Amino acid sequence: MKITRLKITLLALVAALLIPLSCKKSFLNQTNTFGSTQAATFTTSASVIALVNAIYDSYQNSNLLKKGLWYYADYLPHDWYNNGADVAWNNYTYSGTFDALPDFWDNLYIGISRVNVALPIIKAAIAQGVVTQPLGNRLMGEALFLRGTMYYYLTGTFGGVPLELSPTTTGLEPRATQLQCFQQVVADMQAAEGLLVSKTQLATADLGRATTGAAYAYEGSAQMWLAESDPTNATVHYTAALKAFNNPEFGNYSLVTPYVNENEFNNQNNAESVFEIQFDLTGGNQSWGDSWEPPGGELGWIDSFSWPSEITGEGYDYGSPALYYSYQAGDTRKLATIIGPGDPNMSPGIIAQWGGIKGYPNVQGGYANYMAQTTPPYDTVDYYRYTDASQPINTFKSNAINTNGTLAHPWYGTDGTPRSGFVCEKKWRDPTLTGGSGPGALFGSQDQILMRYAEVLLSKAECEIRLGMTQQGLADLAKVRSRAFNGSVPGTFQDGYLPQADANGNPIPAPVITDPLQMVFSEYRHELTGEYSLMYLLRRAGNDVTTGVAYDREMIHIWNTGPTSQYAYGLRPNTFIIYPYGPTHNLPAAIFSDATGNQGVTYNDLPPGKDLLPLPAAEIALNPNLKQNPGY
Amino acid sequence: MMKDVLFIKLNRIRGAILPLLLALSFNTFAQTSITGHVTAAQDGSPLPGVTIHFKGTQAGTVTDIQGNYRLTATPGDILVFTYIGYLEQSIIVGNGKVYNVNLSPDARTLVEVNVVAIGYGTAKRGDVNGAVSSVSAATIESMPVTSTDQALQGRAAGVQVTNNDGSPGGNVSILIRGTGSLASNGNTPLYVVDGYPIDAGGINNINPNDIASIDILKDAASTAIYGIRAANGVILITTKRGKKNGVQVSADAYNEFQSKPKEYKVLNADQFATLANQQATVPGSGFSTFSGWANPASLHNIDWQNAVYGNGQTQNYDVAVRGGSDKLQAAASIAYYSQDGIVLDSYFHRVTVNSNLDAQPTTWLKSSTNVKYTYSQGNNPFGTGSLVQLTELPPTLDGGNKLTYQVKNGDNYGFFNPIYTDVLSYANPVYSIETDRNYPENNFVLANSSLEATILPGLKLKVNGGVNANFAEDIYDQPNDSRANGEYGQSAKINYGYYSQSISQSVDWLIENTLAYDRTFGKHAINFVGGFSGQKTIWDGMAGSGIPPNNTIEDLSQVTTLELQANNPPGSDTGNGQNIVSLSSLFARLSYTYDERYFLTGVIRRDGSSKFDAQNQYGTFPSGAFTWKAKNESFLKDVSWLDDLKLRATYGETGNQGPINPFQYQALFVGNRPASFNPGGIGTLDDNLGYPFDKIYQNGYAAEQPANPGLKWETDTQADAGIDASFLNGDLNITADYYNRKSKNFLLTLEVPAQTGFQYLTENVGSMDNKGLELSVDYHHDVSKDFRFGALVTFSTLNNKLTSITSGTNEISNFGGLTLNGPQWGTFSETFIGQPVGEFYGYKVQGIIQSQAQINQLNAQAQAKGYAYYYSSATGPGDFLFADINHHGAVVAGSTQDETSLGSPIPKFYGGVNLTTSYKSWDFIAYFYGVYGNKILDYEQNSLESFQNQGFVGIQNISEQYYQNAWTPQNHSNIYPAINSNDNTILNNVPSSAWIQNGSYLKLKNFTVGYTLPQDFAKRIAVSKVRVYISSQNLFTITGYKGLDPEVGSQGGNATQNGVDNGIYPSSMYFTVGINATF
Repeated sequence: MKITRLKITLLALVAALLIPLSCKKSFLNQTNTFGSTQAATFTTSASVIALVNAIYDSYQNSNLLKKGLWYYADYLPHDWYNNGADVAWNNYTYSGTFDALPDFWDNLYIGISRVNVALPIIKAAIAQGVVTQPLGNRLMGEALFLRGTMYYYLTGTFGGVPLELSPTTTGLEPRATQLQCFQQVVADMQAAEGLLVSKTQLATADLGRATTGAAYAYEGSAQMWLAESDPTNATVHYTAALKAFNNPEFGNYSLVTPYVNENEFNNQNNAESVFEIQFDLTGGNQSWGDSWEPPGGELGWIDSFSWPSEITGEGYDYGSPALYYSYQAGDTRKLATIIGPGDPNMSPGIIAQWGGIKGYPNVQGGYANYMAQTTPPYDTVDYYRYTDASQPINTFKSNAINTNGTLAHPWYGTDGTPRSGFVCEKKWRDPTLTGGSGPGALFGSQDQILMRYAEVLLSKAECEIRLGMTQQGLADLAKVRSRAFNGSVPGTFQDGYLPQADANGNPIPAPVITDPLQMVFSEYRHELTGEYSLMYLLRRAGNDVTTGVAYDREMIHIWNTGPTSQYAYGLRPNTFIIYPYGPTHNLPAAIFSDATGNQGVTYNDLPPGKDLLPLPAAEIALNPNLKQNPGY
Repeated sequence: MMKDVLFIKLNRIRGAILPLLLALSFNTFAQTSITGHVTAAQDGSPLPGVTIHFKGTQAGTVTDIQGNYRLTATPGDILVFTYIGYLEQSIIVGNGKVYNVNLSPDARTLVEVNVVAIGYGTAKRGDVNGAVSSVSAATIESMPVTSTDQALQGRAAGVQVTNNDGSPGGNVSILIRGTGSLASNGNTPLYVVDGYPIDAGGINNINPNDIASIDILKDAASTAIYGIRAANGVILITTKRGKKNGVQVSADAYNEFQSKPKEYKVLNADQFATLANQQATVPGSGFSTFSGWANPASLHNIDWQNAVYGNGQTQNYDVAVRGGSDKLQAAASIAYYSQDGIVLDSYFHRVTVNSNLDAQPTTWLKSSTNVKYTYSQGNNPFGTGSLVQLTELPPTLDGGNKLTYQVKNGDNYGFFNPIYTDVLSYANPVYSIETDRNYPENNFVLANSSLEATILPGLKLKVNGGVNANFAEDIYDQPNDSRANGEYGQSAKINYGYYSQSISQSVDWLIENTLAYDRTFGKHAINFVGGFSGQKTIWDGMAGSGIPPNNTIEDLSQVTTLELQANNPPGSDTGNGQNIVSLSSLFARLSYTYDERYFLTGVIRRDGSSKFDAQNQYGTFPSGAFTWKAKNESFLKDVSWLDDLKLRATYGETGNQGPINPFQYQALFVGNRPASFNPGGIGTLDDNLGYPFDKIYQNGYAAEQPANPGLKWETDTQADAGIDASFLNGDLNITADYYNRKSKNFLLTLEVPAQTGFQYLTENVGSMDNKGLELSVDYHHDVSKDFRFGALVTFSTLNNKLTSITSGTNEISNFGGLTLNGPQWGTFSETFIGQPVGEFYGYKVQGIIQSQAQINQLNAQAQAKGYAYYYSSATGPGDFLFADINHHGAVVAGSTQDETSLGSPIPKFYGGVNLTTSYKSWDFIAYFYGVYGNKILDYEQNSLESFQNQGFVGIQNISEQYYQNAWTPQNHSNIYPAINSNDNTILNNVPSSAWIQNGSYLKLKNFTVGYTLPQDFAKRIAVSKVRVYISSQNLFTITGYKGLDPEVGSQGGNATQNGVDNGIYPSSMYFTVGINATF
């Protein structure tokens, strides 16, 4: 009995001692010592700021900016064309498997996810005193602003998209409507407006962060999208938009003069800039190497790949002569936007650094090689590629080329194709870049401006006109045009010349525009083409209430949708081809590429429905709740 | 000498202790001392531990280790001799002094009384209430095996054991009742060694010779007691323990020779260079031959297979001492295993020490202690699968090499001129194997001890605790190789030295308290066990690599470009750092028996695992089983032809947390990266994550993995219906089971919609069914006293089907580490809903295109349907004719439209036949194993029939058979395509039915002839029993498979890369000479 009692006591004691070892709740709560958890990471204000920095970083991505936003904004209106493999843009044949789509979709949702993850962490950091209330507010505002812009571009491009607003998701959310998406953009922007600081209060070290003005600018635009998506309440939405555009914060912005300075490398984050994506040179090597690879590094291939391949060895896009000729006489924006055959590079920065096109290592080297030849026959390709057109071939002594090629004297691309050349001058501003030769500096650090004050003024003008405040609208329009024409605004409003010559080879003036809305649309093009806005603004404009014709379609192909008498010559071969070479080669046939795949300027209409890009097919495969846009 | 000392000691113990004990026990009037010797009828061997009691009393004795007994009896006493597995025998004591007894085996008793481990307890075989297969020590010992897993092959129905390759140390995969998870390493059963659940890799540290029995719990009712780790079955291993009353010493040794493997016949240097020169002249081949091959006949031939393959040798020595007294029993063994494989420098060496100690100091207290230590070292220079390079390498080395053009000449090794880009990717494997130093070592300790107290009759409290520690080290040292640069100048590539070192330790501890109650009340019997368990594993590691300053420095602090390895994937046992996982559990099993006819068991386990978030930390796993022992019903009791009949039905739920690493449920962040960070990829996080403000870079932080609190274990539910029947006086025992296993919520890392913000997420996705029939037929019969015969047949069918994937897709392509080079070889298997896992996938070959007219016609038909070509613009006569599966008019290259299932690597059925015969002192074992109905993807064959270096620049060697039979304008083969040096362009060697073969086989895995020395002779040399044997493994294989060995497993334990022969380590014949001796 004694023994039994002893053993029970002993065993019970042992058992009692051992039970807590395995039954304690904390026994299962292990600390992660190899991965950074929220609790371990966000204990300082610097780390919480870093969380928001990474949201900005999702925009700092060449593939997203160029192959996503820029291509949509500029290729769809056919002001610009692709000279690479993405020729689907040129004839509107893109489908859900088009590889530019994931660049667009995936990267913006990565950014959205970063916002959704950041918001509760910032809130907790404020509550715990890790960040001060003012800093926490600003960070919340930045995150909400960035999410708003991301839904803005996604919805502008694809129509309604899935609204992901939570840090955890299965990714099986179906698409919301376009209206719901822009309501979300408005909600995010309005929340951000109350949290962000004015650009006047932003510390210099924070230059590049979102400010109150940026939130009002996007809110205004999103309100205009609501008007397009919800026409029965259009007046309400335009009124709300106008209210946003009228915010006193815009008193802190002004138009940069002259116009050419707006996009200059040495004038980044200028007085007109509302929101621009920052790049910097600390990220690594500007030549081929790891640093350029998307999405890493701090550099982008965006700018130099717009240049002619004669300089870079690359060359992704070229301009439309239709755009070139649509500028009204005296518009200083023309050569600051697009340079054509025989035009020199107009950028003050490029001229200061290189003396123009002639200073580039490729040109200098080729020219030197040509000059080194002492006996005929001289290399004609080198002659054409690198020497001045004004000198006949065998006079031998000539200057290095300093302009785009011409019909009489074309450049030769690296593929040997003669080119006359229309080049985006807005993207040819970074003097640190050399193209593919010499030091091979192809990857640049120039910021990409997503929103600037001129766009705010033009959108505001559209609002005012839509609300019947035509005089105010035209007054805002005049601010933009006044800079464009250096103060000497012509009395009439005209889209310059048609891209065709008459029978005598003389240019044909385009019809005079009298409709105030059409004036705004024309200004969208001439002010903002080659940037990140045009197609969004055109699609936002929606359908004409009287004709039922989409403004965007009219604008994109004003040449083809005008009066029949003008329309007709668009289809007459050989009469309108001014520069039948290279990228601008327009074939004498109804099809717009030849058997060897050379792409010409295609004047085909934007087919109905193609103003929305298809959702990436891979995403539909992964999320069966996603429905593809009609027509794909 | 040692043996003699031991023998004298044993006799002293017997002489001194036994009489004393007996004298104390039986101090009776008019008694005489009698002695005797108890032997086994079948072979005359002594039987230790036979219980001898006076009829009607509990008093008596047991035989000692020599089978001898001594007791005091009165004439007229009846002595009853009982021994497990033998028929009871009685003798009446007369006036004699010596009573020898010869006990006959009782097959039926053997079945009835056999004790089976069922997890946290044991049960009589006849009372087992679920699907449990057992393998005895005798079976394990009958065939030399490296690992315990190998011993299970074909011995247990429903347990599919595949030697993934023949490498030393054994690369074995075990599937119990099919594939339940798509995750890599998601199908590993739980191993429990002497009550201690260990990591699956640890099983290789157990010396098979130390094992007393293996019990395999298969159905969920049986496994549910192990809860969240039980979905893939549980293998309970019990090691040999000391027996009471005496000491037994055993020594086993064998020496094994392994023959050089078969070789593929490939082209010699002359043939190869001739072909290369000729192919270089084919227009459009894109290949220019090497100037050094201009005179093919002059080239020195190299047989790479011969240079790498050789004979293998294995030695195994094992000494054990086991025995004890009434209160203390001990077992100790030490073993050395050394295998030198048939591939150059492949080996596995292992030393195991095992010690068990059982003590019962009082009637109510019992303790049991197990300590195991293993040191192992192994190397396999080619790893799994890459032996394909031996047939790919050009059969000649650069003739212009100044040092040597032989594989090896003195200290010099031949190599290829790296300036010649078409051979740039080739190395001399013998050079790297012989000059690289690689020392992977592992120390394993498993020690546990239990204390069991009987508090009240039938009520026992047990505390079990222990530690399992692994200490691993791996050093890899590759010297600087500047030969190429020295000989060919700056344009040749210098191969810098490389040194890596990693050390890691994993310490796992376990504590378990159980309470058991076992009582019978009339016709009612209950058995209960319940308890709690806590187990924690702490892993720590350090690993780094870099370029050492010279070829002897092995010091990470002196290397340049030191790289510390990451814990990759996060939470895994790799790289630097520490991770901890813990498991806390409550469990209970209640069995109720009525009248030995109805058996009911319920099990429940609640497991808490640190691998999951708080909201999903605990899982509950219930099961129930019902058995009807029909034979004990009155209407069957007297049916003489039926010795036993039992019907079972069980259902249960279990879990699987194996495939997931810790903290995958947590939101984790990365950042703090420099502006220049850019690894060159295009993944979401291959970015510096920071951003400049005012043109000054600022740090960024982003989530690398989102919070996934819903993540949980994989769940299995399984229903099982079984029957056990016995006939012919217990000679014939049949067990059959049908099971239906439904697995769901696989833990899989899959591509997810980008709208999540991530490319891949680990999720619970999909479900899979496995159904099968298992049959085990065991027949043994003693034809006469001298002649015995036995046969064990196991047969299992398997029907596996993926039933859903919840990610929105309807298939999962192969994933994991297996890379097959060449166009479109990224995908070679697809698992579709409704189909078995890991089906091979590709084009269907309909023959060879015989003429230009034929391809012109096909192209014309395709063009009429809007396609540019029927297949590829390069397709011409001599190329494969792929089938237009979707009948759209063309076979679209690089698209899945015309790809189709090419068969499953899962066999329709598999099984083993184990025949044992003994005649007098001779015994014979023949053991066959076979699978039927599976396919093999023979990538080796594909390689042998590709003249282009698959996936790289240049050319590779081909088989002689292909060379001689390939299609030419003169030889219109319909099987072998034309030889081309640009197969990658032509897209001929893509995954297709041409490389799929029937994988069925029947192997004579083992044939053994043993001879046991006669007792008299054994006694004369002072041993109890000596058996010598010769044995052969893999003596023959009946198969239609053209490769070296049809036994091809799943690589990396991944069901989507199963059955791929990409040059796996071949298994050849083994010849063994061995001896088992008992003292």
